Amino acid sequence: MPHIVKSTIVDAPTDRVWGVLRDFNGHDRWHPAVATSLIERAQSPDKIGCVRRFKLKDGSELREQLLALSDLEQSFSYCLLDTPIPMFNYVAHVRLLPVTDGDRTFWHWESRFTTRPDDARRITEMVAEQIYQAGFEAIRQHLKEAA
Amino acid sequence: MARVYVSTVVNARNDRVWARVRDFNGLPNWHPAIGESRIEGGEPADKIGCVRDFRLRNGDRIREKLLGLSDFDMFCTYSILESPMGVENYVATLRLTPVTDGDKTFMEWSAEFDCAPERETELINNIGGGVFQGGFDALKRAFGG
Repeated sequence: MPHIVKSTIVDAPTDRVWGVLRDFNGHDRWHPAVATSLIERAQSPDKIGCVRRFKLKDGSELREQLLALSDLEQSFSYCLLDTPIPMFNYVAHVRLLPVTDGDRTFWHWESRFTTRPDDARRITEMVAEQIYQAGFEAIRQHLKEAA
Repeated sequence: MARVYVSTVVNARNDRVWARVRDFNGLPNWHPAIGESRIEGGEPADKIGCVRDFRLRNGDRIREKLLGLSDFDMFCTYSILESPMGVENYVATLRLTPVTDGDKTFMEWSAEFDCAPERETELINNIGGGVFQGGFDALKRAFGG
């Protein structure tokens, strides 16, 4: 089962980073891969179980469900329901931890999924680089522009 | 119950940092406040339950028991058996997590303990700002940032 782990340090307090990340319906405002986002059935994006529908810049659509969200731990978990690429049983976890030395943020993003053996390497690299690493860079840029 | 949490980023891969800090008898090798250390009963320093008996450079003597050590998750948990600090039920954990972006190490050092209420702030500052951060600063110097 592929396991992706990516982590970075953001030069901002966790509260600022969490203020952006906690919005399960907000990825279209900062992630370069996401064109539009909406929550199905007009539910609140912090309601556990809500489903977000992404349209990606390449035109494909995917649906993801919020499994857990904690303001105390500054973490959330979600799974993929529908996607055009052959990823199954995808569950991802995002959590923020304070770097007290300098008031920065440690951001950890990890996931597991199943796929066909032939696709594992390509999909792992795509998610790690184009989704997670690109997301890190986008948040840095987003916070810089907001400052 | 009082809680201390400090964390930092060390500019080296986590396996290199872990090699430096995993030795439960090795504090004098990297922590500037620790003068000498030995493991009681001649036990190996990675035997869970072993006790280290060490002295700070100021002369204070502390005995601590190894409760958990994982090379896989890179953490070490220990309790204080005996110290002049005036703490009870003291349990601390040192944990390393890789920062994949740039091959660095995120280091956390936390502790929980009971103490007299009027001493809580002073102890939190001494343990977090003094002992733990002092160790971090030494590691950052050793690994160049």
